[in-house]
Amino acid sequence: MYAQFFGSYLLNKDAVSPEQLTTAIARLSDTHIKLGTLAMHKGYMTASEVDEVCFLQTREDKRFGEIALERNYLFEDQLEDLLKSQNPDYLLLGQTLVDMGALSNTELESLMVGYQDENELEESPEEEANIEETSALIERFFENSGKPLSEHSLMYMNLVFNNLVRFIGEDFTPLAPVPCNEYSTTYCVTQAISGPVTLTSGVDMEPDVAISFASRYAKMEFDEFDEYVSASLEDFLNLHNGLFSVNMSNIYSEEVSLDPPKHEEDPTLQLTDSSFVLPIIYPFGTVYLLLIM
Amino acid sequence: MSANLTILVGDDSILARKQLKDVITKFTTDPTFIDASNGQEAIDKYKESHPDLVFLDIVMPIKDGISAVGEIIGADPTAKIVIVSSVGTQEQLKRAIEAGAKDFIQKPIREDQVQNVLNSQIGDRS
Repeated sequence: MYAQFFGSYLLNKDAVSPEQLTTAIARLSDTHIKLGTLAMHKGYMTASEVDEVCFLQTREDKRFGEIALERNYLFEDQLEDLLKSQNPDYLLLGQTLVDMGALSNTELESLMVGYQDENELEESPEEEANIEETSALIERFFENSGKPLSEHSLMYMNLVFNNLVRFIGEDFTPLAPVPCNEYSTTYCVTQAISGPVTLTSGVDMEPDVAISFASRYAKMEFDEFDEYVSASLEDFLNLHNGLFSVNMSNIYSEEVSLDPPKHEEDPTLQLTDSSFVLPIIYPFGTVYLLLIM
Repeated sequence: MSANLTILVGDDSILARKQLKDVITKFTTDPTFIDASNGQEAIDKYKESHPDLVFLDIVMPIKDGISAVGEIIGADPTAKIVIVSSVGTQEQLKRAIEAGAKDFIQKPIREDQVQNVLNSQIGDRS
């Protein structure tokens, strides 16, 4: 869950523009992590050493690791460690932004340190993010966006991000939530929850984005917007809200009830004051998550 | 192999019905499927065709799955009904069993769960 929030951290710090971020996310799937980025992240090499080795690579036909060893920027055991280490996924996003020229290696180096410090991320990226850490990350994301959440809403959003990872894919970045009183829909599906927690959530997206979203969700290749695509959006929402009801029951012993999901025919939705819209960028397009409370 | 099974699949999502039918087809020989997209339709179609097995979602328009279980069991106490829902809370499970459902599958469905249910409900007929 680290990569997702690194993108919004970069926006928050005005380090990159939303357009640069979107472009970088769209490129992620055909990018591979480089040794230099890893070495910098581990603190084995500085940004300027990495830049120097990259420059030398353009003149000498040698690998990055080879040059770094020759120059004593890396020790053998460090190189071995890098080659077998699992890199945290947010590094790839940072590296893509460097490749695009949106960031320099020096800027990325300090942004990575800042991101780790702010979120108290574990030094060793190999370890799976634990649940509390992820939850704290999400809580801070909403606080930083001026939209602190109640305990139940936080659990709800935690589950949203987990279910996006589980059912659609982890290659997304949420942007800051936008408070919204009136929302113009494109293709929007909503579902109402009532009981001890009362809220309506929805997903809204362009038809072509819906086709990609549905293809991932249903694990089928859709090429046109048909009833299976719209059913996939409803299913995702219904499954997510069902799992929320299971969590509410298990953690708080409270039973919420769900209305069937529905397609919003209305081109404009009137929302309450505490409602917000959360844009979530995937390589295939932006999914807008509505939380009406 | 005995006569082919008739299976009623009640879910308001055409995708959920397709996915469940695809899994059932892997473990049964040429089943006949009857689709229902809400609880009332499931009741009506049950009474018409008395399927061997029924799968019902809970959250559906017009009439929810648990009400439908009660009405189907009221009409035919031997009906074999399995709830397939994302809302797998203890309370829903209890309501489903009290209404007369034989089993409960938590969505997202897993093939082995469906296979187990088919084995326990219809055994060697599958």
